[in-house]
Amino acid sequence: MADSGNAPKPSSSVKLVLLGEAAVGKSSLVLRFVNNDFQENKEPTIGAAFLTQKCNLPTRTIKFEIWDTAGQERFASLAPMYYRNAQAALVVYDLTKPTSLVKAKHWVAELQRQASPGIVIALVGNKLDLTNDEAGSGGDGESPGVDGEGDARKVTTDEAKTYADEEGLLFFETSAKTGYNVTEVFTAIANAIPETSLKTARGPGAAHAAARSEEQRVNLNGARDQNAKDGCAC
Amino acid sequence: MESLSDTLWDVVICGTGLQQSLLALALSRSDKKVLHIDPHDYYGGQDAALSLQEAESWVADVEAGKEPSFRSALITKPDGSTGLGFPRAYSLALSPQLIHARSALLEQLVSSRAYRQVEFLAVGSFFIFNPAQDPSQKPTLARIPSTREDVFLTTAIPTKAKRGLMKFLKFVLDYESSPQTDLWQPDAEAPLTEFLSRQFKMDTELQTYIITLSLSLDGKITTKDGLAVIRRHLSSMGMYGPGFAAIYPKWGGLSEIAQISCRAGAVGGAVYMLGTGIKAMKEGEDPIEVELTSGDVIKTRSLVRSGNDATGQIETARLVAVVGSPIKSLFEATAEGAPTPAVAVVAFPAGSLSTPGGKASEYPAYVSVHSSDTGECPNGQSVLYMTTLATSESQEILDQALDSFLGAVGDDQAPQCLYKLQYKRLEGSTQSPAHGSIFDFTIPSTSLSFNDSTLEPVRDAWKMVMGDAAVDAEYMQFTDREGAAEDDDL
Ligand SMILES: Nc1nc2c(ncn2[C@@H]2O[C@H](COP(=O)(O)OP(=O)(O)O)[C@@H](O)[C@H]2O)c(=O)[nH]1
Ligand SMILES: [Mg+2]
Repeated sequence: MADSGNAPKPSSSVKLVLLGEAAVGKSSLVLRFVNNDFQENKEPTIGAAFLTQKCNLPTRTIKFEIWDTAGQERFASLAPMYYRNAQAALVVYDLTKPTSLVKAKHWVAELQRQASPGIVIALVGNKLDLTNDEAGSGGDGESPGVDGEGDARKVTTDEAKTYADEEGLLFFETSAKTGYNVTEVFTAIANAIPETSLKTARGPGAAHAAARSEEQRVNLNGARDQNAKDGCAC
Repeated sequence: MESLSDTLWDVVICGTGLQQSLLALALSRSDKKVLHIDPHDYYGGQDAALSLQEAESWVADVEAGKEPSFRSALITKPDGSTGLGFPRAYSLALSPQLIHARSALLEQLVSSRAYRQVEFLAVGSFFIFNPAQDPSQKPTLARIPSTREDVFLTTAIPTKAKRGLMKFLKFVLDYESSPQTDLWQPDAEAPLTEFLSRQFKMDTELQTYIITLSLSLDGKITTKDGLAVIRRHLSSMGMYGPGFAAIYPKWGGLSEIAQISCRAGAVGGAVYMLGTGIKAMKEGEDPIEVELTSGDVIKTRSLVRSGNDATGQIETARLVAVVGSPIKSLFEATAEGAPTPAVAVVAFPAGSLSTPGGKASEYPAYVSVHSSDTGECPNGQSVLYMTTLATSESQEILDQALDSFLGAVGDDQAPQCLYKLQYKRLEGSTQSPAHGSIFDFTIPSTSLSFNDSTLEPVRDAWKMVMGDAAVDAEYMQFTDREGAAEDDDL
C-alpha cells in the first residue's frame, strides 16, 4: 500500500438505491450492512428510507447514501426520481422465487434506460441460507431450509450469473440472515465506482456535471436572515 | 402484505398533486393509517413533470376530458427541426412555478426535514423584451435591476429616474409601517402603475420593471397586492445566497416536491398505489366505503380528493417549448459568489406583441427560461415555459412571443424550436372544500411564483384527518429521521 503519510484519504459520497420485488430482503441487506443486524419476520419495511455507511478502500473512502424503497415497490409505485442520479444500484431477487428474478430484470432494464449512464449495478440473489449451499447456510451453523430440510433454491447460480455477465452487472448470492457475502457486495460496488464519477472528483467528463451541480445547489440550511432583513444585497 | 380491505384506513388520499402530497407529508409522523392513490401512473397530478412520451398520453387525456383543470392541449414539432433527444431525457413541468425565498412552502419543507431530498437551483435575472424599433434591427432583452446596488450601477436608467426607483425600493421594504401607510392606503385598490406614477414619478418603462417583478398576469395588480409581492421579492433577495430572490426545484418544479412528500409519506408507513383511482363510493356512511379501480373495496374514516370543479375564473394559456440552444447569455451569475442560475424570466409587456392579424397583446406574457441544469432537457438545449392570460388570441400571442424571444437571443441565427406543447390551464372555484369527513381540494392557483395560499387547504385537510389530535404548533415540525442528519456535512 502506498505510503500516504498523514494525509486523509479522499472521501466521496455515492447514492445507492435498492430495487426489487417486495419481501426479497432489500431492507434486511441494508440492516445487515449498516448495523450488522437481522430481524426475522419483521413488519413490512417502514421507517428506514435513508441510511449512510462508510466503506473504506485502500486509497479512498466511499460514503454510501443508501436509499431504501420505503415500501413504494409494493404496488408498483416507485417513481423515477428514486433511482435517477444514483451512482449505484442493488437489484435484489429472492433465489427461492423465480418471479422475483423476472422483476429484477425489469428493474435492470429500467435503470439502463432512466438512470445515469455510468451507474454501477449489482444483481443480488438473496436468502442463500435457504439453500443447501455450504456457503450460505454455513454462517451460523443452522441446517439449510426453512423446514430444516431440502433445498428451497429455485434460481440456479448459473442462470443468474449468465444474465449478469451479459448485462455487465456485478453478481452475488447473499444471505442477509447469516450475513454471508453482504459486505462483499458493497465493497465490490465501491471498487467499481469509477473515480471520475465521484462528487469530489474534478476534471472533464462525467465528473464535471456532478461537481458543477454541487456548486449550483442552493442550500436551504444556509438562510442568511440577517442579510435578508436588509432586503437586498446593498 | 397487509390486505387493503382488512385495514380500517384513517384517510384515503386520492391524487398526488402538490397539496395532496404535502398532506401525506404532514401526516407522515402521525401513526394514522394512510392509503394514497392516484389514477395516473406518475406522481404529481396537475403538478407533474412529463417525459415526451407521458406528455403525449397526457394530451390525449386532456382532449378526452379526463384532466379537469386543463383543455386545448396540443403537441407540435416544427417542420424540419432536428436534434430532439430521446423522450425520457425530458421532464416538462406542468407547474414550473418559481418559489420565492420568503415562502411558507420552503419554511414547511425545512421544518419537516423534507427539503433534504430536493435540489434547489437559483432563479437569476428578470428581463424585459423590447420590440425592434424598425425591421432592420433585432428586438432586445433588458435586464431589470432588482437591488439598490444594481439600480445604482446600471447605465440603462437615466439618473433622474433612478432616484425615483431607489426611493421606491426603500419605501416598499417598510411599506406597512406607520408613516408609509399614509402614502399608499388611499390607493390600495387602485392599479399599482398609477401609484408608481403619482408617488414616485416613474415613467412607463420603470412601471413595467416593477410590474414584471410582480409577475402580475393581467398587468393590473392593485397597489395593495403589488406592494406585498414586490416586498416579498426584495426581501427574498439574498436570503439563501447572493444575487437571487427565488429558487426552483431541479427536475420539474413542484412535481419534485410532490414526489418527495409522497416518499416521506411512504417512509412513515403510508401505502402508495399509482394507476388506481376511486371507482365508486357509498357516501353518508361511517366508515366510508370506497371501491377502487383496482377492484379492492376498502373502508376509511375520511377521504381527501382532488377537485374537478374548475370554474375557469382565471384561465391561462401555456406554451412549453424545447429549444436547441443553451441560451447562455440569460444564465449569467448576477453577483459575486452567486450560484449560476438555472432559470431566467423574460416579460413581454402588454402591447409589445401582436397577432398575425395585427392585434396588440392585451396582457403581459411571461417566459420562464430553464437551462438544462434543471434536468428538464438534455445539455445544449433549454425549455421555455410561456404564460399569458387566455383570450381568443392568446395562443397566437404565445407563438409570437416565442419567435420574438428566439430572435432576440440569437446571434446570427435564431435558435431552433424543437418541440411545442400548448394547453390552457383553469383555476378557480367557489365550492367549500370540506363536508363532513370528505375534503375536496380545489384547483390551486396558477400564479407564476408559488402562492402561499395553496398551503392553507392542506392544513385544513390535515386538521380534518387528525381531529382532536391536531396540535397547530406541531404542524410540519419534524426531526430528522435516523441516518439522515449527517447529510449536511457532505
Ligand atoms: N431466510 C432469510 N430470510 C430473509 C433474508 N433476508 C430477508 N429475509 C426475510 O424476508 C422478509 C422480507 O425482508 P425485507 O428486508 O423486509 O424485504 P424487502 O421488502 O425487500 O425490503 C422478512 O421477513 C425477512 O426477515 C435472508 O437472507 N434469509
Ligand atoms: Mg423493504
